[in-house]
Amino acid sequence: MAQISLPKNSTVNKGKYYKDQTGSKNIRKVNVYRWDPSTEENPRIDTYEVDMDNCPSKVLDILNKIKNEIDPSLAYRRSCAHGVCGSCAMNMGGKNGLACTTPHTEIDGEIDIYPLPHLKVKRDLIGDLDGLYKQYQSIEPWLKNNSSKESTEIFQSKEDRAKLDGAYECIMCACCSTSCPSYWWNGDKYLGPAVLLQAYRWIVDSRDDERKARLKKVADELKLYRCHTILNCTSACPKGLNPAKAIAEIKKMLATANV
Amino acid sequence: MENKKPLSPHIQIYSWHISSLVSISHRITGIINIIAITIICFWSCWLILGENNYDFLNYFLGSLISKFIILGVVWSFSFQTLSEIRHLIMDMGYGFELQTTKVTGLLVILGSLVLTVIIYLIGRNFI
Repeated sequence: MAQISLPKNSTVNKGKYYKDQTGSKNIRKVNVYRWDPSTEENPRIDTYEVDMDNCPSKVLDILNKIKNEIDPSLAYRRSCAHGVCGSCAMNMGGKNGLACTTPHTEIDGEIDIYPLPHLKVKRDLIGDLDGLYKQYQSIEPWLKNNSSKESTEIFQSKEDRAKLDGAYECIMCACCSTSCPSYWWNGDKYLGPAVLLQAYRWIVDSRDDERKARLKKVADELKLYRCHTILNCTSACPKGLNPAKAIAEIKKMLATANV
Repeated sequence: MENKKPLSPHIQIYSWHISSLVSISHRITGIINIIAITIICFWSCWLILGENNYDFLNYFLGSLISKFIILGVVWSFSFQTLSEIRHLIMDMGYGFELQTTKVTGLLVILGSLVLTVIIYLIGRNFI
């Protein structure tokens, strides 16, 4: 059964307030989720006044500015800053996305920044994605080809290649899975949109010989059918992909094919 | 150490959009409908048992609160029906584009209100 409220050790308290030191007239308040594993305290929301006159356009720029100029203790993941690596996935203004591709002008009022929802927090904005990676491993995301001719390439028609469009671009940032209420309530069993999109990617790959086995593996009340087309995943995906449609396609294959 | 890690906020902070609203309403109206159907069954059984019961029921259904409940149940049925049609179309693999889901979601919400009025008027004037 879904637990709607947060456990006792996870309720969020009000934290520190960092007043602007630059004297700028163009200030925005940024509320950031903080949790320090070295203390016994509950998570808190720290509020920073950020000078927007000297801040580039993305939410990640705000975080960098806070870390460099206001509070170096803030912890978050980031790497490429160009929406390719998927490290800076977080919840901004109530919606999951990549901090490096989300313009702060898209968020009205104060900017609320949280870690990805319903994850065990390691520190500040860093969530624990181990469970998701284990599930990703469970669908065996690699090519399985039984062909004995190992020396030649496996040809693929243009039409077959086109089937992978919209699936191979996934960067596994976990924005979709952690936006999904079904994944919140059943994340230990339900595979979630990110992993199911990858399952789909290998099911439709014409070069793969294990299509039936793969379909059989995901055909499970909890693994697959917990998707109730809420569509939080598709609206969260920073790469514009459509995990909900991929899940529907898997369901359709299972309903129509003899597996 | 492991259990000490807090759980990040989820439903408390995640913003709603049309599709998630339609989805949760679909579930809530489903539960309401099951309860409503059960009560309607009991009512009809009750009517068979005698005229006095009919008079009492007639009186009860005439009250303002009952009218509100009846309208609510009619809306609940309308919403569930339209939303289910939307889900069936999605199960066939259509209508997953973000823009489309917004439009169909809005159609379900507005359509359920229109359908409620139509059913109510039919009920008032013809039955």
